[in-house]
Amino acid sequence: MTREQKRKIEGSVALFLSTMAAFFGLFWLVFILGDVLIHGIKALNPSLFMNDPVPPGAEGGGLRNAFVGQLLITLCATLIGVPIGVLGGTFLAEYARGRKIARLISVLADIMVSVPSIVIGTFIYALLVRPFGHFSGWAGAAALAIIMIPVVLRTTEDMLSLVPWTLREAAFALGAPYYKVITQVVYRGAATGILTGILLSIARVAGETAPLLFTSFNNSFFSVDMKQPIASLTVTIFQYAMGPYDSWHEQAWAASFVITLFILLLTITGRLIIRLRYK
Amino acid sequence: MAESIELEVKGLDFYYAGNIHALKKINLSVSKNSVTALIGPSGCGKTTLLRCFNRMHDLYPKNRYEGEILFHGRDILSKETDLINLRSRIGMVFQKPTPFPMSIFDNIAYGLKLNGVNRRSDLAERVEKALVHAALWDEVKDKLGASAYDLSGGQQQRLVIARALAVNPEVLLFDEPTSALDPISTAKIEELATSLKKEITIVIVTHNMQQAARISDRTGFLMLGELIEFDRTDKIFTAPSEKLTEDYVTGRFG
Repeated sequence: MTREQKRKIEGSVALFLSTMAAFFGLFWLVFILGDVLIHGIKALNPSLFMNDPVPPGAEGGGLRNAFVGQLLITLCATLIGVPIGVLGGTFLAEYARGRKIARLISVLADIMVSVPSIVIGTFIYALLVRPFGHFSGWAGAAALAIIMIPVVLRTTEDMLSLVPWTLREAAFALGAPYYKVITQVVYRGAATGILTGILLSIARVAGETAPLLFTSFNNSFFSVDMKQPIASLTVTIFQYAMGPYDSWHEQAWAASFVITLFILLLTITGRLIIRLRYK
Repeated sequence: MAESIELEVKGLDFYYAGNIHALKKINLSVSKNSVTALIGPSGCGKTTLLRCFNRMHDLYPKNRYEGEILFHGRDILSKETDLINLRSRIGMVFQKPTPFPMSIFDNIAYGLKLNGVNRRSDLAERVEKALVHAALWDEVKDKLGASAYDLSGGQQQRLVIARALAVNPEVLLFDEPTSALDPISTAKIEELATSLKKEITIVIVTHNMQQAARISDRTGFLMLGELIEFDRTDKIFTAPSEKLTEDYVTGRFG
């Protein structure tokens, strides 16, 4: 065999292996999404959004409580997590720029991003559930907020660092105090990037189950009281999928479909914003 | 001479963080309503000197000034100087155009709002005045709401000049304002600088010796952090007293 032939064969083998690996990965992705899509759409009906759960065996019923609970928890988590994340990122990129403390917090935030969410759930359990003696919506929101903060913080820091220094200098040269330079010039320059980071962080927490199991738990009744246990889609899916009733399984599929769609839309919106901005 | 002095630098030393001695015992005075050019090879300290006038170096930690810069008789290097006030009286235009990520109108209104101009009608009037002043009005009057990034580089630079002029500064510092621009835009900016000196004082750092010769009244030549020579521009370019200056302006180095 000549050297050229050998090289050609090696090339074909490498191409074949990497193509197969790509298809193997894609196959499962399409399989999962397809399965959720097919089963989910079949089980989708208006009653799902308008009614609360009925006892197993009874006809109808829906997951209104879980949809509302999920939205409420996610909204509260966003309201807690985003300001802290954005302000923290601002501190790192602006006020503490170049200092050791900034580098340290950055690295810690990176570690936080990869901490298993169940660990954060148990942490909040110890902090906000046990001392009060019961699960609560606030505990769930706090757990999700803690997962969001490092993501938003790091994105904000990165996006602010991308704003050229000359722009800040130009604002300073006009006699602007630092907080006005940041809020009126630098934030504008980094707005799309930060917004994208926020959307992606919401997408990240919207699908979390483990931290909610320990914190907001579940509630079979409609409730908007954040001081009490509150239903969420993810925990409901977990519970219903494990349950013995066919009607539960169907509703779990529908809920899976809705939440997957929600996260997909958030992610796509985030990517679209990036593309439109940096095309 | 009846010229009055706008800025007077007295025995100025400047150190960057890490004790890098960037300016050594600089003495020079900038006359009111004139254009003063600072020339010299890269790294000579001309931009460093320019950035002392609006205390831009204070943005970075551990930079240190020694000596005095008198502005209307008061030392701007003293700790009591209100930097916000100083920077609204001594404006700056940078090498690369620095429009803010907002509309043309808002770019100029930004500085005005910082200075307490908030009424919509006042803003509109002052924005127009500044744009006319910077010879940009005719080109942008129909698209004041458009993003400043839609303008060409030369227009952006004039927008930035308009933004600086809008707050009525007494001095305008130019840091190589045309080095990123084409010859036509450069000519427009030079024309602008010459016409502006009727009202304000201009200090310009430039790499381009012809530019210094064309527009400035006085020129300072710096090298390795020292002011080698400071004199009337025609004298610097035709009969410099220092050998180094002559070598530089005749293109023997740098």
